[in-house]
Amino acid sequence: MMNKISKPQVEAELRKFVGADVYVHSEATSFVFVRNFKVNVTEALIAGEGRYRAALRFDGHGWLRMEELTHYEVDGRGRLLLAGYDDRGRMNVALHLGREPFPE
Amino acid sequence: MNEANLEPKLKLLAVFAHPDDESFICGGTFAKYGREGVDMTLVSATRGEMGRRMGNPPYLNRETIAAARELELQEACKHLGIGTLQFMDIRDKTVEFIDEETLTSRVESLIREIDPDVVLTFHEKFGGHPDHCAIGKATTAAFRRSASRGALYFITFGEAMKRPERYGYTRQDVVKIDVGAHLEAKLAAFRAHRCQTEIDEWVWLPDREALAHFGRHEYFLKGNTEAPQRSQHDLF
Repeated sequence: MMNKISKPQVEAELRKFVGADVYVHSEATSFVFVRNFKVNVTEALIAGEGRYRAALRFDGHGWLRMEELTHYEVDGRGRLLLAGYDDRGRMNVALHLGREPFPE
Repeated sequence: MNEANLEPKLKLLAVFAHPDDESFICGGTFAKYGREGVDMTLVSATRGEMGRRMGNPPYLNRETIAAARELELQEACKHLGIGTLQFMDIRDKTVEFIDEETLTSRVESLIREIDPDVVLTFHEKFGGHPDHCAIGKATTAAFRRSASRGALYFITFGEAMKRPERYGYTRQDVVKIDVGAHLEAKLAAFRAHRCQTEIDEWVWLPDREALAHFGRHEYFLKGNTEAPQRSQHDLF
């Protein structure tokens, strides 16, 4: 079940990935997705109200930024699954972080 | 006990790209042949795990959608009388990037194993989605390589092939199936694909109103025109 983003909770969950090698699924639905990019996260940030922006700094010189995030879930495997839906349940964006590769 | 049971059953193999292709595009035809006792196998290249509709309000995400759509497809198959369901385990939206020969060989072995009377797939150019065209192209090549008998048909959308001339085809190229008696099963299959159809209010109206949204016919394009002329109203 996807929960509406609570900024303090998601911020705390993001922080757990800082300093670690992280596998990323990042997606702007219909246009692009990447799955299992592996990066070393140096900063993980969230900003905004209601519809949120998240950003990762990685590998000492990289950025990944996504906006329009609305929901999240920390699943049974400790993966942080962020997604942005429209008002009718269609997904626009996704940002998933995990310590193991996501199933291909 | 019944001699009819000893006759070899007619067999249909459908090779599609995503869960819901079978219900949304030609569910009435599956329901019809299912009820007539045709042995039907559906192969879905992907689990539709890159779909955009996540329930309304949303309850799925990228990591949970594959399992949900697999269950939905299993349920839809029950409503349509599809006895066997297989997945090719290709990631949604990547079918066109799979090595063509590999894909064709996989479908070819399925056709040889099942030995179907009818193969259904997408038209390689008019399929709509890149995954549809790619699986259609591979299945067409596989059919031509392997089928010693039987017929190939391309599934088509809605009533587009009511006037085939617009697409460079003639009436002789089209099979028109009357599915009027099987729309309840088609509606049940639509509803089985819950996360895909929750957004469509009409699907969830009272049955009578929802059923009014379906056309009475489904249309198929002949894929092997060299096959002997068949009825214009039956795939077999």
